[in-house]
Amino acid sequence: MYKLRSLVFAAALMMGLALAQTQVTFWTSATNPPDVKALKDIVAAFNAANPKIVVKLVQVTGSETDAAKLMTAVAGGTGPDVYMLDRFTVAERAAAGLLEDLNPFGANALASNYLPYAWAETQFNGQTYALPFDTDARVLYYRKDMLKAAGVDPNVLDPSKGVPSIKLIQDIAAKINKTDSSGAYTQLGFIPWFNQGWHYTWGWAFGGSFYDAKTCKVTPDNPGVVAGFQFLYDWAKNLDPQKVQTFLSTYAPPNYPPAQDPFVTGKLAMIVTGDWFLETMKQYAPNVDYGITYIPTPDGKKTTWAGGWSMVVPKGAKQPAAAWEFLKYIAGAPGQRIYTKESAHLPTWKALLNDNSLYDARHMFFKNLLPSANSRPPLPVGALYWDELTNAMNKVTLNQQQPMAALEEASSRVNAQLQQFCK
Amino acid sequence: MSTLESKETDLLSPRTPDPRRSARNRGLWLSRIILIVAAILYVTPIYWMVTTAVKGPTELAVYPPTLLPQQWHWENFSKAINFIPFGRYLVNTLVITLFSMVGAVISNLIVAYGFSRIQWRGRDLIFGLVVATIFVPFPVTVIPLFVTFAKLGWINTFLPLIVPTFFGNPFYIFLLRQFLMQIPFEISESAKVDGASEWQILWYLILPLARPAIAVVAIFAAIAAWNDFFGPLIYLQDESKYTLSIGLQMFRSTHQVEWSLLMAASTLVVLPVIIIFLLFQRSFIEGITLGSIK
Amino acid sequence: MSRRERYNLMIGLLFISPWIIGFLAFLVYPIVSSAYLSFTRFSGFGVAQWIGWGNYTRMAQDALFWKSLYNTAYYTLLAVPIGVVVATVLAVAMNQRLREIPIYRAALYLPSVLPIYALSFIFIWLLNPRYGLLNLVLRWFGVPPIDWLGNPEWAKFSIVLLAQLGAGQYALIFLASIRGIPQTLYDSAEIDGATQWHKFRFITLPLITPVILYDVIIGLGLGLQVFAPSYIITSGGPVNSTLFYVYYLYNNAFRYSQVGYASALSWVLFILSVVLAYGIFRWSRRWVNYEVGS
Repeated sequence: MYKLRSLVFAAALMMGLALAQTQVTFWTSATNPPDVKALKDIVAAFNAANPKIVVKLVQVTGSETDAAKLMTAVAGGTGPDVYMLDRFTVAERAAAGLLEDLNPFGANALASNYLPYAWAETQFNGQTYALPFDTDARVLYYRKDMLKAAGVDPNVLDPSKGVPSIKLIQDIAAKINKTDSSGAYTQLGFIPWFNQGWHYTWGWAFGGSFYDAKTCKVTPDNPGVVAGFQFLYDWAKNLDPQKVQTFLSTYAPPNYPPAQDPFVTGKLAMIVTGDWFLETMKQYAPNVDYGITYIPTPDGKKTTWAGGWSMVVPKGAKQPAAAWEFLKYIAGAPGQRIYTKESAHLPTWKALLNDNSLYDARHMFFKNLLPSANSRPPLPVGALYWDELTNAMNKVTLNQQQPMAALEEASSRVNAQLQQFCK
Repeated sequence: MSTLESKETDLLSPRTPDPRRSARNRGLWLSRIILIVAAILYVTPIYWMVTTAVKGPTELAVYPPTLLPQQWHWENFSKAINFIPFGRYLVNTLVITLFSMVGAVISNLIVAYGFSRIQWRGRDLIFGLVVATIFVPFPVTVIPLFVTFAKLGWINTFLPLIVPTFFGNPFYIFLLRQFLMQIPFEISESAKVDGASEWQILWYLILPLARPAIAVVAIFAAIAAWNDFFGPLIYLQDESKYTLSIGLQMFRSTHQVEWSLLMAASTLVVLPVIIIFLLFQRSFIEGITLGSIK
Repeated sequence: MSRRERYNLMIGLLFISPWIIGFLAFLVYPIVSSAYLSFTRFSGFGVAQWIGWGNYTRMAQDALFWKSLYNTAYYTLLAVPIGVVVATVLAVAMNQRLREIPIYRAALYLPSVLPIYALSFIFIWLLNPRYGLLNLVLRWFGVPPIDWLGNPEWAKFSIVLLAQLGAGQYALIFLASIRGIPQTLYDSAEIDGATQWHKFRFITLPLITPVILYDVIIGLGLGLQVFAPSYIITSGGPVNSTLFYVYYLYNNAFRYSQVGYASALSWVLFILSVVLAYGIFRWSRRWVNYEVGS
């Protein structure tokens, strides 16, 4: 009898415990094994520290800007409590009414802990819709072996010599370019628009700005951006645009695997790309001697741009309060520390930038660039702006259109849609 | 298989005089050559998939690409299986595929019969409506459809992927209708004179004659369900309920794609379909042979 | 209406009732709601704001609307006729009386069972300007290397080529139709001294017109809604040369949060498609033959 009673008591206790626990569903589209593992470790650490909340991690597939799964789920009232969202799309999704405003939870009080540009990306109409998670930065990678083979001393690109000039890169690249008997390129020094050499990269490198908050207008036709595009236009013209395209279609076809990256295979001597590429080199080209330096600029100013992810609470979340507890943890110091350590991403939590035990020597270079990093303007038409800039860049690098004409077209198309959000 | 083919030839074609026979042999050789070239062309993608699956990362980056792997990395298959819960996804996919196939065959045959073998007022108008639904662009129906299923409480179950297959699909209704229209109507008429109902005519007369077309629908529906990506992507929210086609997407990360693993997994995903096809093909061809003897 | 007519109407509706129920349950609401939303500004959430014909007038001035419409028309106009010819040729090839025919049949069908995701990746390699199989073969005929996916002039055509790898799917339908033709027709033609070409032209071809019509209509539907290849391979590029209509529509709905505009886009495409399909049906009355043996 006593036994039975204690059994019932134990069962009731367990049920009570289960009832007291709140389940928080957390969706991420991350698939890269180290990233997923780091996220799982963060969730486990949080669950251990918070007995009343159980976070459940669900991997959902899809590209970073394609939120079809999230949109349908929220519309149907079956969305998650926490979602990992590309930070650059926060303003757009907030404007669409997809995200919960975090200010009632006191999100504002956390602002000073984050890198300013990362915090700026979580804002829309003066409200906070996300907490910043990781970040990244872009630099110039160069292969020392290819430079040497072309008779160039790789030391001229050493970061201690400062920001390389456009002229320097041009001279080096010209020595590396090779063609076969038919005139097709088999090796190139540098293709500025390849990999992370985006419109934003060169617009900023040439001192441009992409948005004017005062007039509430995007400004791709700003002189700096146009100068950046002119640089791309001339570079393409110099090499023959279609020939460069064929080189890329050959050695960097759409969706090429990391092992086939033309920088990894020694077809391309210099590329602009991000800190995650350190891992690619370690994995697929461990014996290649390469260096990293600043993105070249005409005036010797340091420039980079940073993106990254954020944590949001979608509309209709069933456990917003518990979700917020988890948000503070994963996007705060404890979560970001685990993520930085395990996945080799960079944190947006400022205090962690001072903890040098989290970074290896090469990563330090990226980390030190962060305080001066540019970030894309957080606009409700961010994805459209990106696509229009990409389209303009394609036309310019194929020499189909002059920079000014292509950018003006982008400007009018984006401003037409931005207008409705202006006050 | 081959004996059946040759028996059929003997049965159905009368002995031809010798000169024409040699011309026919020449024709056979010509078609054989054309077929071999075409077969090589169409097998290339599969060949490329399988060889890539067993290549190591360094070999993937060799120019020009190697035709045969220099080193066979069979462990890519086990890596791919361990990268995703392959067994569980396989079972889920099988369940969805099986039900979808059954649903498609039953519902579309019945509906197509109604659109082809029975004369009723307004039939062709409504059939026009069926065909018109083929042209509704999918992105715009995604959200309202999801909301409908959410109200039914079907999200995160297989039901949104299975139940609609039991209510007809315009592609298959149209396909079966085209075949049923070709079956001589005298067959139905004489059966009706003998007092047969429409159900009996469908079951005993039309079904055997339409076997090839039904087999086509079965194969199509099975492959469509097997390879469907978007449906499972949005309706399934629990990793334990995912399907293989979603699993394939897991090999793509933000900045890169794991090709060897993707191709190894794709090979494993395709293998059962190829087996199913080879099995079906057999009954498919036999079915037709019976049909044409009648 | 006579008693018999009433009975037929009832029984006809009974047979097609699965489709009617499915249509009412799963399609009417999405279609009606998209019609309403096409007159609003709507992000997908919250309140839809009525803007009258605003989305439609915006379309007229939207360069990408016209561009994507042109791309889609180009694709459909090439893909449909080429698809019919390739499927017919494959089906005739699959029907040859050779002992090893099951092997060819499987080979020609194989690419159709690959998930589009894997097939697209493989295709990219077949089209590599320097090392791809296609340029290698063309080089034997003295054709200089073509940058299939990188050159805006060729990218659309490359997607047309990709569709041909899946032609085995339609070839199977054609094969089923060919196998349904009574052997006696060929036998009596042979006695009259008909050549292989004559038999194809005057027996096979007329009798597979119902499935040709099917292929044209389905091809039109799939062509006008082509989406996955450019979504996976080219992301609409280079320079929007593979930005197809439904891809642009999808971007508006799920990338730019412009569900209202996307709804208007889908209605324009829908109406356009239905008009085209109606025209094809009218025209088909002149060449489609449902009666066997006439």
